[in-house]
Amino acid sequence: SGELYCSLPNPRNVHFESINMKNILHWSAPEGTGDGVLYKVKYLVYGDSKWIRKPECRNINRTWCDLSSETSDYEEQYYASVKAFLNGRCSDWIETTRFNPLTDTKIDPPTVSVSSTEKSISVILTAPEKWKRSPEGEPVSLLQVYPGLQYNVSVLNKKTKKRWFFSVSNNTLVVPWLEPGTDYCVSAQIHITTPLLHSGFSKEYCIATLKDKTA
Amino acid sequence: SVTEVRSGFTAIKANIQGRDPIRTLSILSYPHSLHKVQSSDRCCIAHHLFNFYVDKVFKHCKTEDSYINRKVSSIANSFLSMKRKLEHCHEKNKCICRQESTEKFNQILANYEGLNVTSAAIKSLGELDILLDWMEKSP
Repeated sequence: SGELYCSLPNPRNVHFESINMKNILHWSAPEGTGDGVLYKVKYLVYGDSKWIRKPECRNINRTWCDLSSETSDYEEQYYASVKAFLNGRCSDWIETTRFNPLTDTKIDPPTVSVSSTEKSISVILTAPEKWKRSPEGEPVSLLQVYPGLQYNVSVLNKKTKKRWFFSVSNNTLVVPWLEPGTDYCVSAQIHITTPLLHSGFSKEYCIATLKDKTA
Repeated sequence: SVTEVRSGFTAIKANIQGRDPIRTLSILSYPHSLHKVQSSDRCCIAHHLFNFYVDKVFKHCKTEDSYINRKVSSIANSFLSMKRKLEHCHEKNKCICRQESTEKFNQILANYEGLNVTSAAIKSLGELDILLDWMEKSP
């Protein structure tokens, strides 16, 4: 088949990096090769009989390839593979481990919006969306992907430095019995029990409770 | 519980899947994904699959690695207790087996018997997350 003589060192550390199911294949250049190395990529739905080439990642010199579209069905699992070329020589095909988008993706923190009254704070939490093919595409919240998704919410009284933690299943939280005219800072994290996944904490959103009108 | 099985599997997933060189064949997903099973068939197929893993898979997954073996036996124990719970359902006839579910399970058995027993067992064990993902998905 006119296969080139494959004595080029192999690409290294071929792996998926996934955030909110935006699934990017990454690798490192073969050891000891400078510029000029080109790559091609193929992928396979686990259990299917054939590998599929990714035309947009053929003869590329970068060391990543976006396979989000090809791996968007999170009820399937995948392998991807990379081959390197340089000056008429090539490497072997080097594969990832089996990639399961459902369990192997990282989750971004939720977005947090806060409002306050004199003695309470209301927190509205929004889970990130799953990656989608185009901005016009139908948004799918990760809440639909992970029905067991919960939020861990931290509330800090900036004056006393006292901190509370809450675990909520729905997307709203009202924290009552607070001090009027006081600054509170809220941060939240997504927690999924099975499969076990959690996001980092969001940045802090601070708000002051209203001043006590009677005082 | 499912969470125990999930965490046990996560600990050995890379090792077990690394022992399975066959990318183009799946025991549970060929020719159709478990996710294509109708919700009315879920209980029956889950019941069959628990028996399949306990009776056919775990016992053939001995490795040279004692850590892996310990994890496999703890997964097997969790499966046994879940199997008992499902049996309770099955006995109370809440777990009806229609022809479609029997055909799907027979296909799984055929996929399994198409390989030598050790390869089939290791591949099935490596596909445990396919089963768990399917079980945890809301019907």
